[in-house]
Amino acid sequence: MIGWYIFFLFLALLILLSAVGVVVMRHPVYSALSLLFNLCVTAVMYLALMGAPFIAMIQVIVYAGAIVVFFLFVLMLMNLKRGEYEDKMGPWRIVLGIGAFLIFLLQVIALSGKWKGWVHPGSRGVGIGEISRLLFTRYVLPFELVSLLIFVAAVGAVALAKKRL
Amino acid sequence: MGIGVFPYIVLSVLVFLLGALGLMIRRNAIVMFLCLELMLNGVNIMFVALSRRMCSAEGQVIVLFVMAVAAAEAAIGMAVITAFYRVRGGVDVDRAQLMKW
Repeated sequence: MIGWYIFFLFLALLILLSAVGVVVMRHPVYSALSLLFNLCVTAVMYLALMGAPFIAMIQVIVYAGAIVVFFLFVLMLMNLKRGEYEDKMGPWRIVLGIGAFLIFLLQVIALSGKWKGWVHPGSRGVGIGEISRLLFTRYVLPFELVSLLIFVAAVGAVALAKKRL
Repeated sequence: MGIGVFPYIVLSVLVFLLGALGLMIRRNAIVMFLCLELMLNGVNIMFVALSRRMCSAEGQVIVLFVMAVAAAEAAIGMAVITAFYRVRGGVDVDRAQLMKW
């Protein structure tokens, strides 16, 4: 019981610190990477504490994988000064490499089936079946409208950003 | 039942407020969009926490809609910023003074 509180406080501290990082980092790329960390820790919280594994997966795929990478692409195209980006990353390379290795190690352990995970026992968990049942019955009209919205947004983005149509 | 719903609501409000603060104090347009995503993330935490509290999946369905709208908003916003950058030569929102008088 007290262990779940400590786990929650740890995750909440990471989320709040990275949120502060998004606001106060001077370089926009560091802000974007801080947001990436924030979204990933939030996904861990959805998965382990709040019983929402499907939302956690979608959070990592859509938010972290698509939207933040999209922001990073636009940052790369725009105002990245060459010097301030390459010099500061030098001494951090080893630390980042070790961190990436530890994440990979955790993935291997989690996939090997030995590790039962830290899923909160009190949360029953809402599976993908229940979500899709709601999505295709009660919320079917908003679902179709969202697909139309994304289509219009894609066309509008091309129309806005293109120099000459 | 584990820990209650109240700590999640506090966390969600704090994340939302940090995003709103960043939206107000930063002048870089791309960082402002990042703070907007932060605010949406805070709202998503609240939705999932209340969905678990009420033992229903509806909050998670709404979270899916929020994510889709966030993707559309990011596409349109980045297109606007690209056009703005082309005209003004920067992403500082203080340069946006076409409608000021």
